Amino acid sequence: MQQGRSQALVHEMGLDEANIDRRMKAVGFEPSDLPNIEAIKDAVVAHVDDYNKTFFDHLSRLEEARPLLTSVALLDRAKQLKRAHIVAMVGGDYGLLYAEQRLELASLYAAAGLDTRAFLGAFHHLLKHIGVDLMKQPERASLERFESFMSLKKVAFFDIALIVDVLVFERERVIRQQQEAIRELSTPVLQVRNRMLLLPIIGIIDTLRARLITESLLSSVRQNRAKVVVMDVTGVATIDSKVANHILQTVTAARLMGAEVIVTGLSADVAQSLAAIGIDLSKLNTVGDLQGGMEEAEQILGYRVLQASAVAPTAPLAS
Amino acid sequence: MSGDVHVAIERDADIVTARQRGRELAREVGFSGTEQTLITLAISEIARNIVSYARRGGMTLTRVQDAGRSGISIVARDEGPGIPDIELAMRDGYSTGKSLGVGLPGSRRVVDEFVLTSTVGVGTTITMKKWLR
Ligand SMILES: Nc1ncnc2c1ncn2[C@@H]1O[C@H](COP(=O)(O)OP(=O)(O)OP(=O)(O)O)[C@@H](O)[C@H]1O
Ligand SMILES: [Mg+2]
Repeated sequence: MQQGRSQALVHEMGLDEANIDRRMKAVGFEPSDLPNIEAIKDAVVAHVDDYNKTFFDHLSRLEEARPLLTSVALLDRAKQLKRAHIVAMVGGDYGLLYAEQRLELASLYAAAGLDTRAFLGAFHHLLKHIGVDLMKQPERASLERFESFMSLKKVAFFDIALIVDVLVFERERVIRQQQEAIRELSTPVLQVRNRMLLLPIIGIIDTLRARLITESLLSSVRQNRAKVVVMDVTGVATIDSKVANHILQTVTAARLMGAEVIVTGLSADVAQSLAAIGIDLSKLNTVGDLQGGMEEAEQILGYRVLQASAVAPTAPLAS
Repeated sequence: MSGDVHVAIERDADIVTARQRGRELAREVGFSGTEQTLITLAISEIARNIVSYARRGGMTLTRVQDAGRSGISIVARDEGPGIPDIELAMRDGYSTGKSLGVGLPGSRRVVDEFVLTSTVGVGTTITMKKWLR
């Protein structure tokens, strides 16, 4: 499942060779880093199981990592992938396949709700162990060992950037889905009186939402045999030509079904500026505010709205 | 003096952000409420075109000063398909997106300077300026 997910992620995050090149450039990775890493490859691979253990031991001490550690299936898979990661880090091949493998582990972290801090801490811990071991290699000059370690660190930072991007991307996905859900719910058509509907529109209107609004309005018009609809756009975030066009189309469709539409909440400024760019709203029945719109709708329906005092004069209130 | 404001444009929500930033800057520069609305609308139209036709791009909003007058500059860039016939696209009512076709000509009407350059397959850049009177 995670693997299919990582392939989809590669696509969604726009990861390709060019993007990976830019990422490598961002961490300052150069061809001269390759021999540096090659020089420590065997030493790292020889201890890969120790390093892997170091990483997960560190995680097991952190409260933030609990969700990952309590799922046996996820943990096993993570250990497997992490081991492969350590081997690949010194493998010298950091192309699309390498990135995709990082995404696979990252999306597993995301699925397990692993905290970014916990991951960073454990990864740093792992690097520290590798660094300490390298410094102990007697057969190479200390400057060379240091340079090898710094080259490896570039790969590590490349990895971290990818993993953090995935964690953020996945978190935003949840937000995007919630927004989507809220939007679908926030297209209520309210029946305020017999044959009179109120459609308050709030937020951002995109093409999908515009269609939902039109559909739900038209089906409500049919169901309620509505004669008047008050469409309140006070809460619309952007009224521009696209939105104006949606409004015009919805109004036309409702009229064809026999309902008059009163549009409220278009401020004079907005109406004027729409006129300035060439949108003709003169065919719309617009009323400044919602209150006024409802009153007009009631008149169309033949209701007469009177203030209570006008019907039965009451004694002036003592102040 | 405030610096440039850059807004990445990719989704409808980004259009809202660009509008808000534009309105804030226009207010800071000293434009009236009506003018702020016009500037906001032009930003909205151009940003929406990016989302609709180029998928993604960016917009830079800057306070500008020239020969003692102040104004706002709006530069929109995208690397979308480009516009093959600019003259046609600038015509009232022309739309390849089944819309009203007022975005480009309308925006030009409400600003003082409007420069559109576009190369098919490379992208589109639109620079708009409006000066304080
Ligand atoms: N950034 C862009 N990249 C590619 N093509 C564009 C871009 N902006 C506009 N166009 C083209 O120019 C045409 C005219 O744009 P304009 O904004 O005037 O109208 P519209 O977007 O079609 O309708 P409206 O803005 O009224 O909803 C568009 O239909 C599209 O073909
Ligand atoms: Mg447009």
